[in-house]
Amino acid sequence: MSAIRTENLSKTYKSSFGRNETSAVRMLSLEVKEGEVFGLLGPNGAGKTSTIHLLLNLIRPTSGAAFLFDRPVTDSDVHRRLGYLPESVNLHTYYRGRALLNFYAALCGVPAGERENRIAAVLKLVDLEDAAEKQVSKYSKGMAQRIGVAQAMLHDPDLLILDEPTASLDPVGRNQFRELLLELKRRGKTILISSHILSEVESVCDRVAILENGALKRVGTLQELSAGGSTRLFVAEMSGPVMNALAATKAEVTWFQGQVTIRCQDDAVRQTVEQLLLENNVEILRRESEKQSLDEIFLSTIKQGPTS
Amino acid sequence: MKTILLIAADGMRALIHQRLLVGLMLASLALTIAFSVLMNTARNSMIEKFTSDRIAAAQSKGSQALSESERRQLRAQVASMSSPFQAGFYGATSFAGSLVALFIFSTAVASEIRRGTIRLTLSKPVSRTQFLLGKYLGGVAVMASYALITSVAMFAFAQTQGFDLNPAIKWSPWLMFCQQLMLGSLAMLLSLLVHPMIASVLAFFSGNGFYSPPNPLYFILPSYSEFGVFSDVLQGTLIDWKDVAILSLYAFDFVAIILLLAIWRFRTKELV
Repeated sequence: MSAIRTENLSKTYKSSFGRNETSAVRMLSLEVKEGEVFGLLGPNGAGKTSTIHLLLNLIRPTSGAAFLFDRPVTDSDVHRRLGYLPESVNLHTYYRGRALLNFYAALCGVPAGERENRIAAVLKLVDLEDAAEKQVSKYSKGMAQRIGVAQAMLHDPDLLILDEPTASLDPVGRNQFRELLLELKRRGKTILISSHILSEVESVCDRVAILENGALKRVGTLQELSAGGSTRLFVAEMSGPVMNALAATKAEVTWFQGQVTIRCQDDAVRQTVEQLLLENNVEILRRESEKQSLDEIFLSTIKQGPTS
Repeated sequence: MKTILLIAADGMRALIHQRLLVGLMLASLALTIAFSVLMNTARNSMIEKFTSDRIAAAQSKGSQALSESERRQLRAQVASMSSPFQAGFYGATSFAGSLVALFIFSTAVASEIRRGTIRLTLSKPVSRTQFLLGKYLGGVAVMASYALITSVAMFAFAQTQGFDLNPAIKWSPWLMFCQQLMLGSLAMLLSLLVHPMIASVLAFFSGNGFYSPPNPLYFILPSYSEFGVFSDVLQGTLIDWKDVAILSLYAFDFVAIILLLAIWRFRTKELV
């Protein structure tokens, strides 16, 4: 069963008089399997938050459909299995921390007898035990973010949707949050995380999707995404004509201590070079794929320009 | 139902923390006290005048005690003087209550959307219908408290001033409550379409008092004036319980229809 599924999901905003249209999400088809940690990446305005709002039924799609655990997102009952942390955590400031969590726990259907223990556990988890009786209006941004995390995990949901979860946290808080995500991952929770901090996503996500201008540019595991990147071919010495032929390709050729290294930037170049070497009976001694960081994958994807 | 009650309790909590609302209620209380003081002053000056007239008249007859007929005359004068004050008291509390209702219901959902707090609430297993009904119920509870406080204030007012309540004013807290729920439901519906302030103004002036049959607006727009007892109090007319029942039924029908429209609108409303 998929935890999240979207089918050709689109969202277009119209200006007040309907003259201007802005496409926030375009024909997005995604699937996040249960137990998967999925990263949603993209520059500002890529459509990440709009996608999350569509999944939460806070906005209506212009076309297409979205499902949580194979049920339409309009079915609020499915939210029993969902925890959500928004980008900017806006809380009911007239509560004290513990009372606020009690309200959310009651809404989530946590039995009254279990609430106290659950609240104590999540307060400990986010290190807010000392501020539990403090008025929420007096919380700092970081504390509000942490109580936001606490409310998302109160009812031990199967799916967590986190929109820029560490935006307001200090480095210590971020590190603690990363540890928390890894723990949740070990416990088999499904997590959809939208973040600008690529190193954070890289360390916890099984798969990522890169959005730009509302459209899906790439999706896959980090391995899959880095495949098709640059490859190094190591060959023995070659004759002059072969070297000349290689120079005509886009590959970078270096010679060092009797070994020739050919760096192919992408699959197309690699295929051309390999064909050339084969035709000239040059043996390839070794192949090495250059692993790209998520930063490199992200930047190279975004540089390719908008999807047609 | 439990979810609706939880949202309602949260709504009440939010309202109690609204400074403007607390200010309105305090202003209403101040108005009540002002009326009591005014009434008391007027009553004392009337008794003083009556007594001094009586003494002046008695000095010629050689007796200073009030006779039974004089006492009846005094009571009748105080009672006749109290009608405009009761009507004024009713008018002030009704107007203040209407303002409170407009404020409560026009901001109940709209302020949650504006502040973004609705996102967290609706990420829980709470349907939009439950959310809206919960918010409405929270407002109803606050308005019921207001009606109860004004009833108690009226009785206390009558007790302290030593006069009987006008028969028409006895129904006024209930009719006022019904009218405020009508106003509130309309303000809530309109707040889903326009800014809460505009919604309040539109709801306030939405009565059919400006029209008369056969203008179709007379039949479509709510009839708030039927719920007012100002003239009944002034004239001392009786209000039949059957009229009250019909008016109550009308109010609840109106509220039900408006809430259905609000639910229909809210289900498709963009909440960010």
